[in-house]
Amino acid sequence: MVSIRAENLSLVYRVQPRFSLGRSRVPFAAVGGQIGGKGRDHQVTALDGVGFSLSAGDRLGLVGRNGSGKTTLLKVLYGIYEPTGGIVEISGRVDALFNINIGFRREATGRRNIFLRGLVNGRSREEMEARMDEIIAFSELGDFIDMPLKSYSQGMAARLAFSVATALNPEILLMDEWIGAGDRHFQDKARSRMNELAESAGIVVLASHNEPLIERTCNKILVLEQGRVLFMGDKEAHFEKGNASSANGG
Amino acid sequence: MMGYVGKGAEDLAEALRRRNVWYALAMEDIADQYKRTLLGPFWLLVNYLAFAGTFVVIFGHNAAIHDFAAYVAVGLFVWLYLSEVILQSSALFLREENFIKGLTLPLSVYVLRLTAQSLIRAGFAMAGCVAILLIAGTLPTLAWLWSLVAIALIVVATPAAIINFAVCGAYFPDLQFIVTNAMRIGLFLTPIFWADNGGGGLRSAVYLWNPFTYFLEAVRDPIYSGTLPFHAFAVVSLIAAMLWLSALLLLGATRRKIVFVL
Repeated sequence: MVSIRAENLSLVYRVQPRFSLGRSRVPFAAVGGQIGGKGRDHQVTALDGVGFSLSAGDRLGLVGRNGSGKTTLLKVLYGIYEPTGGIVEISGRVDALFNINIGFRREATGRRNIFLRGLVNGRSREEMEARMDEIIAFSELGDFIDMPLKSYSQGMAARLAFSVATALNPEILLMDEWIGAGDRHFQDKARSRMNELAESAGIVVLASHNEPLIERTCNKILVLEQGRVLFMGDKEAHFEKGNASSANGG
Repeated sequence: MMGYVGKGAEDLAEALRRRNVWYALAMEDIADQYKRTLLGPFWLLVNYLAFAGTFVVIFGHNAAIHDFAAYVAVGLFVWLYLSEVILQSSALFLREENFIKGLTLPLSVYVLRLTAQSLIRAGFAMAGCVAILLIAGTLPTLAWLWSLVAIALIVVATPAAIINFAVCGAYFPDLQFIVTNAMRIGLFLTPIFWADNGGGGLRSAVYLWNPFTYFLEAVRDPIYSGTLPFHAFAVVSLIAAMLWLSALLLLGATRRKIVFVL
């Protein structure tokens, strides 16, 4: 059974003090959160006591201002950041769609990029070859699939990325700032695939500032502020409380 | 401490299991770099031949070294490989920032990707090196097999060297500029175009204390003088062992933290 359970999750890291003769610049930009510490020794609390649990079929919307910890939380769930405190228990295969260009190479064809993207996400050659036709069909790229990626428009590249990430039947899909790949027609297709995915016993976690998208797509909402959970519950409760627009102000 | 070494080894083992990833990426890297060029990766061969050939032609006449062409061809081949690996590795994790922050691949995948890339490049230079040897009349003997053993030893040490430089470079980005300068100077301080004349003094001291000397000797001596440089093999093996120990230690201690310093 697919599930995610996070309990009292925290992520605190020290920003390495660096000796520099150059002009000093803000030494941290990677992750938002609260900054503490004295002098050159800074500590960033990116997540603070975050807890929630999700089960099969849940589509969680992560909302909150810029720097509230949405991306950090996604990256902890994916395994890029190791939490400094608390527990994350995940059962199910996790796939992520953070940066749509990651693993894509401009010079390679769409077909080759599907293959490369699969490889860097831990899929085997055989798995990718078996799924290739299906992915190409879903992306609707037609003959462009054998053209180098640099000839694609942004929307086309996004369509390709979305098709690869979702065609592999991820049990858990993490998405960040997915602003809707492609045109209206493709967005409808994408939405129905996301619904399918969530219905086929998957979990989707989507971080976005796009309120209508969250409302349409998700059934649960988690509001973050400065790394802490401000609200966690059903979508209806969240939107009834009217805290939606204030939390999405960033 | 052994815990860190174990974690480092785990990271490496995972990357070895996922060899299709770094192999595919390394091939893409090479193909990308020479895309739309007439010669493609054969430019690597031309680069080497132009560099080594010029040296042999300009400095070959009055050199105190017999078979100057063979001496330079092999020495330069080894030096160019080592310096490229070191230069590329000190900024490795800085270059791979997007991947490291967006994927959960073990860091060793990037290390092995660079290793594979460097080996492919070195393959072209090696063809040039063998060509110069043959043209200069240095014909293959059984002793050449020792050179192959030395090359294998260097290849084994390569990922370890990359890890050391890459981890240090991630925490201390100045390293890449220090290394650039060191390699430029190293070209002159390493016995590529000169030999130790046994006269003592500064030159002999540089020959003796420069660790690169032994990497060059281990590959060069069997081809150049038909001897087995036992001492050089011992030094290279020792350096390789030390590099691996510190690589696994550094990797195990920092692999989960590097993402925060990039």
